Amino acid sequence: MVIEVEGLAKHFRVHERGAGVRASLRAVVRRSYRDVRAVQDVTFSLAEGEVVGFLGPNGAGKTTTLKCLSGLLHPTAGSVRVLGHEPHRREAAYLSRIAMVMGQRNSLFWDLPALDAFEVHRTVYRVPSARYREVLAELVDLLELQPLLAKQVRVLSLGERMRCELAASLLHRPQVLFLDEPTLGLDVNAQAALRGFLRGYNERHGATVLLTSHYMGDVTALASRVLVIDAGTLRFDGDLTALVEAHAPNRRVRVSLRDVVPREVLARFGEVVEVDGAVVTLQVARAGTAALAARLLSELVVEDVSIEDPPIEDVIRAVFAGA
Amino acid sequence: MPNLGAYPPLVRGSVQVALTYRGRMVLWVVTGFFPLLLMAVWLTVVAESGPPAGWTAGDFIAYYVAAAVLWHLSGQHVVWEWDADMRSGDLSSKLLRPVHPFHSYAAWDVGHRLVMLSLLLPALVAAVLLVPGLGYDVDAPRVLLVVLAVVLAYGLSLLMASTVALLGFWSTQTTNVWMLWWGLGSFTSGWVAPLELMPGWLRDVSVVLPFRSTLGFPVELLTDRLDAGQTAVGFAVGLVWTALFAGLYLLGWRRGVRRYQAVAG
Repeated sequence: MVIEVEGLAKHFRVHERGAGVRASLRAVVRRSYRDVRAVQDVTFSLAEGEVVGFLGPNGAGKTTTLKCLSGLLHPTAGSVRVLGHEPHRREAAYLSRIAMVMGQRNSLFWDLPALDAFEVHRTVYRVPSARYREVLAELVDLLELQPLLAKQVRVLSLGERMRCELAASLLHRPQVLFLDEPTLGLDVNAQAALRGFLRGYNERHGATVLLTSHYMGDVTALASRVLVIDAGTLRFDGDLTALVEAHAPNRRVRVSLRDVVPREVLARFGEVVEVDGAVVTLQVARAGTAALAARLLSELVVEDVSIEDPPIEDVIRAVFAGA
Repeated sequence: MPNLGAYPPLVRGSVQVALTYRGRMVLWVVTGFFPLLLMAVWLTVVAESGPPAGWTAGDFIAYYVAAAVLWHLSGQHVVWEWDADMRSGDLSSKLLRPVHPFHSYAAWDVGHRLVMLSLLLPALVAAVLLVPGLGYDVDAPRVLLVVLAVVLAYGLSLLMASTVALLGFWSTQTTNVWMLWWGLGSFTSGWVAPLELMPGWLRDVSVVLPFRSTLGFPVELLTDRLDAGQTAVGFAVGLVWTALFAGLYLLGWRRGVRRYQAVAG
Protein backbone atom coordinates (compact mmCIF):
# COMPACT_ATOMS: atom_id res chain seq x y z
CA MET A 1 0.00 0.00 0.00
CA VAL A 2 1.24 3.47 -0.86
CA ILE A 3 -0.86 5.23 1.78
CA GLU A 4 -1.75 3.61 5.09
CA VAL A 5 -3.74 5.52 7.67
CA GLU A 6 -4.76 3.91 10.92
CA GLY A 7 -6.75 5.52 13.72
CA LEU A 8 -5.75 9.01 12.61
CA ALA A 9 -6.88 11.81 14.89
CA LYS A 10 -6.10 15.51 14.79
CA HIS A 11 -7.33 17.86 17.48
CA PHE A 12 -6.88 21.61 17.64
CA ARG A 13 -7.18 23.93 20.61
CA VAL A 14 -8.82 27.14 19.52
CA HIS A 15 -9.41 30.40 21.34
CA GLU A 16 -13.07 31.37 21.63
CA ARG A 17 -14.49 34.80 22.18
CA GLY A 18 -17.98 36.18 22.02
CA ALA A 19 -19.00 39.19 19.96
CA GLY A 20 -18.96 42.76 21.25
CA VAL A 21 -16.73 45.02 23.31
CA ARG A 22 -17.66 43.38 26.62
CA ALA A 23 -16.63 39.96 25.35
CA SER A 24 -13.39 41.45 24.02
CA LEU A 25 -12.58 42.96 27.42
CA ARG A 26 -13.46 39.71 29.18
CA ALA A 27 -11.16 37.83 26.84
CA VAL A 28 -8.25 40.10 27.82
CA VAL A 29 -8.56 38.94 31.43
CA ARG A 30 -9.81 35.41 30.97
CA ARG A 31 -9.23 33.33 27.87
CA SER A 32 -11.44 30.45 27.00
CA TYR A 33 -10.42 27.65 24.71
CA ARG A 34 -12.20 24.82 23.01
CA ASP A 35 -10.82 21.57 21.71
CA VAL A 36 -11.83 20.92 18.11
CA ARG A 37 -11.71 17.28 17.05
CA ALA A 38 -11.10 17.85 13.36
CA VAL A 39 -10.38 14.21 12.54
CA GLN A 40 -11.17 11.17 14.68
CA ASP A 41 -10.16 7.56 14.28
CA VAL A 42 -9.85 7.62 10.49
CA THR A 43 -8.53 4.45 8.87
CA PHE A 44 -8.03 3.75 5.16
CA SER A 45 -5.37 2.78 2.67
CA LEU A 46 -4.61 3.46 -0.99
CA ALA A 47 -2.83 1.17 -3.41
CA GLU A 48 -0.33 2.35 -6.01
CA GLY A 49 -1.99 4.12 -8.91
CA GLU A 50 -5.38 4.50 -7.21
CA VAL A 51 -7.35 7.71 -7.66
CA VAL A 52 -9.64 8.29 -4.71
CA GLY A 53 -12.12 11.09 -4.14
CA PHE A 54 -12.38 12.48 -0.64
CA LEU A 55 -15.84 13.89 -0.05
CA GLY A 56 -17.43 15.75 2.78
CA PRO A 57 -19.11 19.03 3.69
CA ASN A 58 -17.13 22.10 4.77
CA GLY A 59 -15.23 21.47 8.01
CA ALA A 60 -15.65 17.70 7.71
CA GLY A 61 -11.91 17.03 8.08
CA LYS A 62 -10.90 16.44 4.44
CA THR A 63 -8.21 19.10 4.24
CA THR A 64 -6.94 18.32 7.73
CA THR A 65 -6.49 14.68 6.73
CA LEU A 66 -4.68 15.70 3.57
CA LYS A 67 -2.42 18.00 5.57
CA CYS A 68 -1.57 15.14 7.92
CA LEU A 69 -0.75 12.94 4.93
CA SER A 70 1.46 15.57 3.31
CA GLY A 71 3.33 16.26 6.54
CA LEU A 72 2.02 19.77 7.18
CA LEU A 73 0.30 18.69 10.39
CA HIS A 74 1.41 16.38 13.18
CA PRO A 75 -1.29 13.83 13.98
CA THR A 76 -2.64 13.94 17.52
CA ALA A 77 -3.02 10.15 17.50
CA GLY A 78 -2.86 7.24 15.11
CA SER A 79 -0.35 6.35 12.48
CA VAL A 80 0.18 7.58 8.92
CA ARG A 81 2.59 6.08 6.44
CA VAL A 82 2.97 7.29 2.88
CA LEU A 83 5.52 5.66 0.56
CA GLY A 84 6.98 4.08 3.67
CA HIS A 85 7.60 7.45 5.36
CA GLU A 86 6.00 9.09 8.37
CA PRO A 87 4.92 12.34 6.70
CA HIS A 88 5.18 14.57 9.78
CA ARG A 89 8.95 14.00 9.83
CA ARG A 90 9.04 15.80 6.47
CA GLU A 91 12.19 14.07 5.30
CA ALA A 92 13.53 15.47 2.04
CA ALA A 93 13.35 11.97 0.55
CA TYR A 94 9.61 11.96 1.25
CA LEU A 95 8.82 15.52 0.16
CA SER A 96 10.65 14.92 -3.11
CA ARG A 97 8.19 12.14 -3.98
CA ILE A 98 4.90 13.85 -3.22
CA ALA A 99 3.07 17.01 -4.18
CA MET A 100 0.17 18.81 -2.62
CA VAL A 101 -1.85 21.22 -4.69
CA MET A 102 -4.08 23.53 -2.72
CA GLY A 103 -6.53 25.63 -4.67
CA GLN A 104 -6.11 28.55 -2.32
CA ARG A 105 -2.32 28.50 -2.03
CA ASN A 106 0.41 30.07 -4.07
CA SER A 107 3.65 28.15 -4.25
CA LEU A 108 4.91 30.26 -7.14
CA PHE A 109 6.70 33.59 -6.85
CA TRP A 110 3.96 36.18 -7.05
CA ASP A 111 6.17 38.82 -8.69
CA LEU A 112 8.01 36.59 -11.16
CA PRO A 113 7.04 34.75 -14.32
CA ALA A 114 6.07 31.13 -13.76
CA LEU A 115 9.09 29.94 -15.73
CA ASP A 116 11.42 31.42 -13.11
CA ALA A 117 9.53 29.60 -10.37
CA PHE A 118 9.78 26.35 -12.35
CA GLU A 119 13.55 26.80 -12.51
CA VAL A 120 13.68 27.23 -8.73
CA HIS A 121 11.58 24.08 -8.32
CA ARG A 122 13.92 22.20 -10.62
CA THR A 123 16.94 22.93 -8.43
CA VAL A 124 15.15 22.56 -5.11
CA TYR A 125 13.87 19.13 -6.16
CA ARG A 126 17.20 18.25 -7.80
CA VAL A 127 15.57 17.34 -11.11
CA PRO A 128 18.27 16.59 -13.71
CA SER A 129 18.28 19.19 -16.52
CA ALA A 130 17.45 16.74 -19.32
CA ARG A 131 14.50 15.30 -17.43
CA TYR A 132 13.33 18.78 -16.44
CA ARG A 133 13.24 19.86 -20.09
CA GLU A 134 11.33 16.72 -21.01
CA VAL A 135 8.77 17.05 -18.19
CA LEU A 136 8.37 20.78 -18.73
CA ALA A 137 7.74 20.30 -22.44
CA GLU A 138 5.10 17.70 -21.61
CA LEU A 139 3.41 19.93 -19.04
CA VAL A 140 3.53 23.02 -21.26
CA ASP A 141 1.91 21.02 -24.02
CA LEU A 142 -0.80 19.32 -21.94
CA LEU A 143 -1.68 22.32 -19.81
CA GLU A 144 -1.30 24.82 -22.67
CA LEU A 145 1.13 26.95 -20.71
CA GLN A 146 3.25 28.43 -23.50
CA PRO A 147 1.53 31.87 -23.56
CA LEU A 148 1.69 32.06 -19.75
CA LEU A 149 5.32 31.22 -19.06
CA ALA A 150 6.72 34.73 -19.41
CA LYS A 151 3.90 36.49 -17.57
CA GLN A 152 4.18 37.60 -13.96
CA VAL A 153 2.17 35.20 -11.80
CA ARG A 154 0.30 38.12 -10.27
CA VAL A 155 -1.27 39.05 -13.62
CA LEU A 156 -2.52 35.53 -14.41
CA SER A 157 -6.17 34.67 -14.06
CA LEU A 158 -7.13 32.13 -11.41
CA GLY A 159 -7.46 29.36 -13.98
CA GLU A 160 -4.11 30.22 -15.56
CA ARG A 161 -2.44 30.35 -12.16
CA MET A 162 -3.88 26.99 -11.15
CA ARG A 163 -2.48 25.41 -14.31
CA CYS A 164 0.93 26.88 -13.50
CA GLU A 165 0.62 25.72 -9.87
CA LEU A 166 -0.16 22.24 -11.06
CA ALA A 167 2.77 22.26 -13.48
CA ALA A 168 5.15 23.44 -10.73
CA SER A 169 3.97 20.72 -8.39
CA LEU A 170 4.45 18.01 -11.05
CA LEU A 171 7.90 18.99 -12.33
CA HIS A 172 9.55 16.44 -10.07
CA ARG A 173 7.05 13.75 -11.17
CA PRO A 174 5.59 13.00 -7.74
CA GLN A 175 4.40 9.48 -7.07
CA VAL A 176 1.67 10.67 -4.74
CA LEU A 177 -0.56 13.65 -5.40
CA PHE A 178 -2.71 15.31 -2.78
CA LEU A 179 -5.16 17.62 -4.50
CA ASP A 180 -7.21 19.92 -2.32
CA GLU A 181 -9.91 21.63 -4.37
CA PRO A 182 -7.72 21.82 -7.49
CA THR A 183 -10.53 23.19 -9.64
CA LEU A 184 -11.73 25.78 -7.16
CA GLY A 185 -12.87 28.91 -8.94
CA LEU A 186 -12.13 27.59 -12.43
CA ASP A 187 -14.58 27.95 -15.29
CA VAL A 188 -16.15 24.85 -16.83
CA ASN A 189 -13.61 24.59 -19.65
CA ALA A 190 -10.64 24.96 -17.33
CA GLN A 191 -12.13 22.35 -14.98
CA ALA A 192 -12.54 19.89 -17.82
CA ALA A 193 -8.99 20.53 -19.07
CA LEU A 194 -7.55 20.00 -15.59
CA ARG A 195 -9.51 16.79 -15.08
CA GLY A 196 -8.35 15.47 -18.42
CA PHE A 197 -4.78 16.27 -17.59
CA LEU A 198 -4.94 14.62 -14.16
CA ARG A 199 -6.48 11.47 -15.62
CA GLY A 200 -3.71 11.33 -18.19
CA TYR A 201 -1.00 11.93 -15.59
CA ASN A 202 -2.35 9.08 -13.47
CA GLU A 203 -2.47 6.72 -16.45
CA ARG A 204 0.98 7.62 -17.76
CA HIS A 205 2.90 7.65 -14.49
CA GLY A 206 0.84 5.41 -12.23
CA ALA A 207 0.64 8.14 -9.62
CA THR A 208 -1.56 7.65 -6.57
CA VAL A 209 -4.02 10.52 -6.20
CA LEU A 210 -6.18 11.58 -3.27
CA LEU A 211 -8.51 14.37 -4.27
CA THR A 212 -10.92 16.58 -2.40
CA SER A 213 -13.41 18.68 -4.27
CA HIS A 214 -16.76 20.29 -3.88
CA TYR A 215 -17.35 19.74 -7.57
CA MET A 216 -18.79 16.27 -7.97
CA GLY A 217 -17.73 16.41 -11.60
CA ASP A 218 -14.09 16.20 -10.45
CA VAL A 219 -14.80 13.08 -8.45
CA THR A 220 -16.96 11.28 -11.00
CA ALA A 221 -14.47 12.07 -13.78
CA LEU A 222 -11.38 10.94 -11.91
CA ALA A 223 -12.16 8.60 -9.04
CA SER A 224 -13.75 5.20 -8.99
CA ARG A 225 -13.45 4.96 -5.23
CA VAL A 226 -14.56 7.54 -2.68
CA LEU A 227 -14.01 8.23 0.98
CA VAL A 228 -16.83 10.13 2.64
CA ILE A 229 -15.99 11.98 5.83
CA ASP A 230 -18.29 13.96 8.06
CA ALA A 231 -17.61 15.63 11.41
CA GLY A 232 -14.10 14.17 11.34
CA THR A 233 -15.29 10.57 11.04
CA LEU A 234 -15.08 8.35 7.98
CA ARG A 235 -18.62 7.39 6.91
CA PHE A 236 -17.99 5.48 3.73
CA ASP A 237 -15.09 3.87 1.91
CA GLY A 238 -15.88 2.11 -1.32
CA ASP A 239 -16.45 2.52 -5.00
CA LEU A 240 -18.69 5.21 -6.32
CA THR A 241 -21.28 2.74 -7.65
CA ALA A 242 -21.59 1.08 -4.25
CA LEU A 243 -22.06 4.47 -2.65
CA VAL A 244 -24.89 5.28 -5.04
CA GLU A 245 -26.52 1.89 -4.54
CA ALA A 246 -26.23 2.08 -0.77
CA HIS A 247 -27.57 5.58 -0.41
CA ALA A 248 -29.86 5.95 -3.41
CA PRO A 249 -32.35 3.06 -3.24
CA ASN A 250 -34.39 4.53 -6.11
CA ARG A 251 -33.65 5.25 -9.74
CA ARG A 252 -35.35 7.63 -12.11
CA VAL A 253 -37.00 6.56 -15.32
CA ARG A 254 -37.56 9.34 -17.82
CA VAL A 255 -40.03 8.56 -20.60
CA SER A 256 -41.17 10.53 -23.62
CA LEU A 257 -44.74 9.44 -24.45
CA ARG A 258 -46.54 9.96 -27.71
CA ASP A 259 -49.61 11.33 -25.91
CA VAL A 260 -50.17 13.19 -22.68
CA VAL A 261 -51.25 10.71 -19.98
CA PRO A 262 -53.19 11.76 -16.84
CA ARG A 263 -51.11 11.92 -13.64
CA GLU A 264 -53.29 9.36 -11.81
CA VAL A 265 -52.58 6.84 -14.58
CA LEU A 266 -48.84 7.52 -14.34
CA ALA A 267 -48.96 7.06 -10.55
CA ARG A 268 -49.84 3.40 -11.09
CA PHE A 269 -46.33 2.85 -12.46
CA GLY A 270 -44.37 4.61 -9.70
CA GLU A 271 -43.79 7.88 -7.88
CA VAL A 272 -44.28 10.75 -10.31
CA VAL A 273 -41.40 13.19 -9.89
CA GLU A 274 -42.07 15.50 -12.79
CA VAL A 275 -44.54 15.88 -15.64
CA ASP A 276 -43.67 18.16 -18.53
CA GLY A 277 -46.33 17.58 -21.17
CA ALA A 278 -45.67 14.13 -22.58
CA VAL A 279 -42.26 13.88 -20.89
CA VAL A 280 -42.55 12.17 -17.51
CA THR A 281 -40.03 11.35 -14.79
CA LEU A 282 -40.88 8.46 -12.48
CA GLN A 283 -39.00 7.21 -9.46
CA VAL A 284 -38.99 3.53 -8.51
CA ALA A 285 -37.06 1.14 -6.33
CA ARG A 286 -33.72 0.22 -7.89
CA ALA A 287 -34.68 -3.48 -8.11
CA GLY A 288 -37.91 -2.73 -9.97
CA THR A 289 -36.46 -0.53 -12.67
CA ALA A 290 -36.33 -3.14 -15.42
CA ALA A 291 -39.85 -4.38 -14.70
CA LEU A 292 -41.18 -0.83 -14.78
CA ALA A 293 -39.54 -0.12 -18.09
CA ALA A 294 -41.11 -3.27 -19.54
CA ARG A 295 -44.55 -2.30 -18.21
CA LEU A 296 -44.26 1.20 -19.62
CA LEU A 297 -43.31 -0.13 -23.03
CA SER A 298 -46.15 -2.63 -23.08
CA GLU A 299 -48.93 -0.44 -21.65
CA LEU A 300 -48.14 3.02 -23.07
CA VAL A 301 -46.91 4.34 -26.40
CA VAL A 302 -43.34 5.24 -25.56
CA GLU A 303 -41.10 7.20 -27.93
CA ASP A 304 -38.01 7.25 -25.73
CA VAL A 305 -36.93 5.96 -22.32
CA SER A 306 -33.84 6.51 -20.16
CA ILE A 307 -32.90 5.25 -16.72
CA GLU A 308 -30.75 7.43 -14.49
CA ASP A 309 -29.21 7.36 -11.06
CA PRO A 310 -30.02 10.41 -8.98
CA PRO A 311 -27.40 13.19 -9.16
CA ILE A 312 -24.32 12.32 -7.09
CA GLU A 313 -24.83 15.54 -5.09
CA ASP A 314 -28.17 14.14 -3.90
CA VAL A 315 -26.51 10.87 -2.94
CA ILE A 316 -23.85 12.66 -0.92
CA ARG A 317 -26.54 14.73 0.77
CA ALA A 318 -28.32 11.49 1.65
CA VAL A 319 -25.10 10.09 3.12
CA PHE A 320 -24.64 13.13 5.34
CA ALA A 321 -28.30 13.18 6.28
CA GLY A 322 -28.02 9.54 7.28
CA ALA A 323 -24.89 10.30 9.29
CA MET B 1 22.38 17.13 4.83
CA PRO B 2 20.69 20.39 3.81
CA ASN B 3 20.22 20.96 0.11
CA LEU B 4 22.67 23.88 -0.16
CA GLY B 5 22.33 23.67 -3.94
CA ALA B 6 18.90 25.23 -3.43
CA TYR B 7 20.50 28.51 -2.35
CA PRO B 8 21.60 29.82 -5.79
CA PRO B 9 18.14 29.54 -7.41
CA LEU B 10 16.35 30.76 -4.28
CA VAL B 11 18.71 33.72 -3.95
CA ARG B 12 18.37 34.39 -7.67
CA GLY B 13 14.59 34.35 -7.32
CA SER B 14 14.79 36.71 -4.35
CA VAL B 15 17.04 39.11 -6.31
CA GLN B 16 14.55 39.08 -9.17
CA VAL B 17 11.67 39.80 -6.79
CA ALA B 18 13.67 42.58 -5.12
CA LEU B 19 14.32 44.17 -8.50
CA THR B 20 10.63 44.16 -9.40
CA TYR B 21 9.64 47.37 -7.65
CA ARG B 22 11.72 50.46 -8.45
CA GLY B 23 9.96 52.61 -5.85
CA ARG B 24 10.91 50.19 -3.11
CA MET B 25 14.53 50.26 -4.24
CA VAL B 26 14.59 54.06 -3.98
CA LEU B 27 13.19 53.82 -0.46
CA TRP B 28 15.91 51.31 0.46
CA VAL B 29 18.61 53.75 -0.60
CA VAL B 30 16.96 56.55 1.37
CA THR B 31 16.58 54.46 4.54
CA GLY B 32 20.12 53.20 4.01
CA PHE B 33 21.35 56.59 5.07
CA PHE B 34 19.47 56.57 8.41
CA PRO B 35 22.54 55.56 10.41
CA LEU B 36 24.21 58.69 9.08
CA LEU B 37 21.61 60.77 10.95
CA LEU B 38 23.11 59.51 14.20
CA MET B 39 26.49 60.45 12.78
CA ALA B 40 25.25 63.99 12.16
CA VAL B 41 24.22 64.26 15.81
CA TRP B 42 27.71 63.23 16.95
CA LEU B 43 29.37 65.59 14.46
CA THR B 44 27.37 68.41 16.01
CA VAL B 45 28.57 67.34 19.46
CA VAL B 46 32.18 67.34 18.22
CA ALA B 47 31.74 70.77 16.65
CA GLU B 48 30.19 72.32 19.75
CA SER B 49 31.94 70.53 22.63
CA GLY B 50 35.07 69.00 21.17
CA PRO B 51 35.83 65.31 20.56
CA PRO B 52 34.11 63.12 23.22
CA ALA B 53 36.53 60.56 24.64
CA GLY B 54 38.96 61.49 21.88
CA TRP B 55 36.55 60.65 19.03
CA THR B 56 37.11 63.11 16.20
CA ALA B 57 34.70 63.95 13.40
CA GLY B 58 36.68 61.62 11.12
CA ASP B 59 36.31 58.78 13.63
CA PHE B 60 32.55 59.20 13.74
CA ILE B 61 32.26 59.33 9.97
CA ALA B 62 34.39 56.22 9.55
CA TYR B 63 32.36 54.41 12.23
CA TYR B 64 28.89 55.26 10.93
CA VAL B 65 29.62 54.69 7.25
CA ALA B 66 30.69 51.16 8.17
CA ALA B 67 27.76 50.81 10.59
CA ALA B 68 25.36 51.75 7.79
CA VAL B 69 26.53 48.73 5.79
CA LEU B 70 26.35 46.40 8.78
CA TRP B 71 22.91 47.69 9.68
CA HIS B 72 21.72 46.53 6.27
CA LEU B 73 23.26 43.15 6.80
CA SER B 74 20.91 42.53 9.68
CA GLY B 75 18.75 39.48 9.08
CA GLN B 76 15.90 40.95 11.07
CA HIS B 77 13.62 41.19 8.04
CA VAL B 78 13.01 37.45 8.12
CA VAL B 79 10.96 37.92 11.30
CA TRP B 80 8.33 39.77 9.30
CA GLU B 81 8.39 37.16 6.55
CA TRP B 82 7.96 34.26 8.97
CA ASP B 83 5.25 36.12 10.85
CA ALA B 84 3.24 36.94 7.73
CA ASP B 85 3.55 33.38 6.40
CA MET B 86 2.53 31.78 9.70
CA ARG B 87 -0.53 33.99 9.99
CA SER B 88 -1.65 33.50 6.39
CA GLY B 89 -0.73 29.81 6.17
CA ASP B 90 1.75 30.50 3.36
CA LEU B 91 4.36 28.69 5.43
CA SER B 92 2.67 25.52 4.15
CA SER B 93 4.13 26.02 0.68
CA LYS B 94 7.63 26.23 2.16
CA LEU B 95 7.05 23.24 4.43
CA LEU B 96 6.18 21.12 1.42
CA ARG B 97 9.53 21.76 -0.26
CA PRO B 98 12.37 19.35 0.42
CA VAL B 99 14.33 22.27 1.86
CA HIS B 100 14.04 23.43 5.47
CA PRO B 101 12.08 26.72 5.60
CA PHE B 102 15.05 28.33 7.37
CA HIS B 103 16.99 28.09 4.13
CA SER B 104 14.08 29.47 2.10
CA TYR B 105 13.86 32.54 4.34
CA ALA B 106 17.64 32.91 4.58
CA ALA B 107 17.99 32.76 0.79
CA TRP B 108 15.19 35.30 0.44
CA ASP B 109 17.00 37.61 2.85
CA VAL B 110 20.39 37.14 1.19
CA GLY B 111 18.89 38.03 -2.19
CA HIS B 112 17.23 41.17 -0.87
CA ARG B 113 20.39 42.22 1.03
CA LEU B 114 22.46 41.80 -2.14
CA VAL B 115 20.20 44.13 -4.09
CA MET B 116 20.02 46.63 -1.26
CA LEU B 117 23.79 46.69 -0.77
CA SER B 118 24.46 46.92 -4.49
CA LEU B 119 22.47 50.15 -4.43
CA LEU B 120 23.86 51.46 -1.18
CA LEU B 121 27.52 50.56 -1.55
CA PRO B 122 28.27 52.87 -4.50
CA ALA B 123 26.79 55.75 -2.51
CA LEU B 124 28.89 54.87 0.51
CA VAL B 125 32.03 54.38 -1.58
CA ALA B 126 31.44 57.79 -3.07
CA ALA B 127 31.16 59.17 0.45
CA VAL B 128 34.47 57.56 1.40
CA LEU B 129 36.15 59.10 -1.62
CA LEU B 130 34.58 62.52 -1.34
CA VAL B 131 34.64 63.17 2.42
CA PRO B 132 38.04 64.58 3.34
CA GLY B 133 39.97 62.48 5.82
CA LEU B 134 37.62 59.49 5.62
CA GLY B 135 39.41 56.25 5.01
CA TYR B 136 40.11 52.88 6.55
CA ASP B 137 43.70 51.97 7.30
CA VAL B 138 43.50 48.23 6.74
CA ASP B 139 45.93 45.62 5.50
CA ALA B 140 45.10 42.29 3.91
CA PRO B 141 44.94 40.24 7.16
CA ARG B 142 42.61 42.81 8.70
CA VAL B 143 40.40 42.78 5.60
CA LEU B 144 40.14 39.02 6.00
CA LEU B 145 39.24 39.37 9.68
CA VAL B 146 36.65 42.03 8.88
CA VAL B 147 35.09 39.82 6.20
CA LEU B 148 34.91 36.92 8.67
CA ALA B 149 33.40 39.21 11.32
CA VAL B 150 30.80 40.46 8.83
CA VAL B 151 29.86 36.90 7.86
CA LEU B 152 29.60 36.04 11.56
CA ALA B 153 27.51 39.17 12.16
CA TYR B 154 25.08 38.28 9.40
CA GLY B 155 24.86 34.62 10.39
CA LEU B 156 24.22 35.42 14.05
CA SER B 157 21.74 38.13 13.18
CA LEU B 158 19.85 35.76 10.89
CA LEU B 159 19.81 32.98 13.50
CA MET B 160 18.64 35.34 16.25
CA ALA B 161 15.84 36.69 14.08
CA SER B 162 14.82 33.22 12.90
CA THR B 163 14.77 31.91 16.47
CA VAL B 164 12.55 34.77 17.63
CA ALA B 165 10.37 34.19 14.54
CA LEU B 166 9.63 30.67 15.78
CA LEU B 167 7.70 32.21 18.66
CA GLY B 168 5.02 32.60 16.02
CA PHE B 169 4.11 28.96 16.67
CA TRP B 170 2.99 30.00 20.15
CA SER B 171 2.12 33.68 19.90
CA THR B 172 0.93 36.27 17.41
CA GLN B 173 3.25 38.90 18.89
CA THR B 174 6.48 37.82 17.23
CA THR B 175 7.28 41.11 15.55
CA ASN B 176 6.62 43.05 18.76
CA VAL B 177 8.89 40.69 20.70
CA TRP B 178 11.54 41.20 18.05
CA MET B 179 11.21 44.99 18.21
CA LEU B 180 11.64 44.82 22.01
CA TRP B 181 14.63 42.49 21.63
CA TRP B 182 16.21 44.65 18.94
CA GLY B 183 15.45 47.88 20.82
CA LEU B 184 17.16 46.63 23.97
CA GLY B 185 20.01 45.25 21.92
CA SER B 186 20.61 48.51 20.08
CA PHE B 187 22.20 49.97 23.23
CA THR B 188 24.80 47.20 23.40
CA SER B 189 25.30 46.64 19.67
CA GLY B 190 26.98 49.96 18.94
CA TRP B 191 23.97 51.22 17.02
CA VAL B 192 22.83 53.99 19.39
CA ALA B 193 26.42 55.10 19.93
CA PRO B 194 29.90 53.61 19.62
CA LEU B 195 30.38 51.39 22.66
CA GLU B 196 33.53 53.25 23.66
CA LEU B 197 31.32 56.22 24.45
CA MET B 198 28.92 54.22 26.61
CA PRO B 199 29.21 53.91 30.41
CA GLY B 200 31.81 51.38 31.54
CA TRP B 201 29.31 48.86 32.94
CA LEU B 202 27.32 48.87 29.70
CA ARG B 203 30.51 48.36 27.71
CA ASP B 204 31.45 45.38 29.90
CA VAL B 205 28.00 43.85 29.53
CA SER B 206 27.99 44.39 25.78
CA VAL B 207 31.15 42.32 25.38
CA VAL B 208 29.33 39.15 26.47
CA LEU B 209 25.92 39.86 24.92
CA PRO B 210 25.18 38.80 21.32
CA PHE B 211 24.29 42.23 19.90
CA ARG B 212 27.79 43.70 19.58
CA SER B 213 28.78 40.78 17.34
CA THR B 214 26.12 41.85 14.85
CA LEU B 215 27.34 45.44 14.41
CA GLY B 216 29.86 47.01 16.78
CA PHE B 217 32.48 44.26 16.63
CA PRO B 218 33.07 44.24 12.85
CA VAL B 219 32.99 48.05 12.74
CA GLU B 220 35.50 48.33 15.59
CA LEU B 221 37.68 45.78 13.80
CA LEU B 222 37.53 47.78 10.58
CA THR B 223 38.33 51.06 12.33
CA ASP B 224 41.32 49.50 14.10
CA ARG B 225 40.04 49.89 17.64
CA LEU B 226 40.70 46.36 18.87
CA ASP B 227 43.92 44.63 19.88
CA ALA B 228 44.57 40.94 19.20
CA GLY B 229 43.08 39.81 22.53
CA GLN B 230 39.90 41.84 22.09
CA THR B 231 39.58 40.56 18.53
CA ALA B 232 39.85 36.95 19.69
CA VAL B 233 37.28 37.53 22.42
CA GLY B 234 34.97 39.20 19.90
CA PHE B 235 35.10 36.21 17.57
CA ALA B 236 34.73 33.74 20.45
CA VAL B 237 31.67 35.52 21.83
CA GLY B 238 30.09 35.68 18.36
CA LEU B 239 30.71 32.00 17.70
CA VAL B 240 29.36 30.93 21.11
CA TRP B 241 26.17 32.93 20.57
CA THR B 242 25.83 31.56 17.03
CA ALA B 243 26.08 28.00 18.36
CA LEU B 244 23.66 28.83 21.16
CA PHE B 245 21.06 30.32 18.82
CA ALA B 246 21.50 27.43 16.38
CA GLY B 247 20.66 25.07 19.26
CA LEU B 248 17.73 27.24 20.37
CA TYR B 249 16.48 27.39 16.80
CA LEU B 250 16.54 23.61 16.41
CA LEU B 251 14.81 23.13 19.75
CA GLY B 252 12.21 25.78 18.95
CA TRP B 253 11.63 24.27 15.53
CA ARG B 254 11.08 20.74 16.83
CA ARG B 255 8.66 21.91 19.48
CA GLY B 256 7.00 24.63 17.45
CA VAL B 257 6.32 22.94 14.14
CA ARG B 258 4.18 20.37 15.94
CA ARG B 259 1.85 23.21 16.81
CA TYR B 260 1.56 24.57 13.26
CA GLN B 261 -2.07 24.65 12.24
CA ALA B 262 -1.64 25.40 8.52
CA VAL B 263 -4.54 27.82 8.70
CA ALA B 264 -6.49 29.32 5.82
CA GLY B 265 -6.81 26.46 3.47
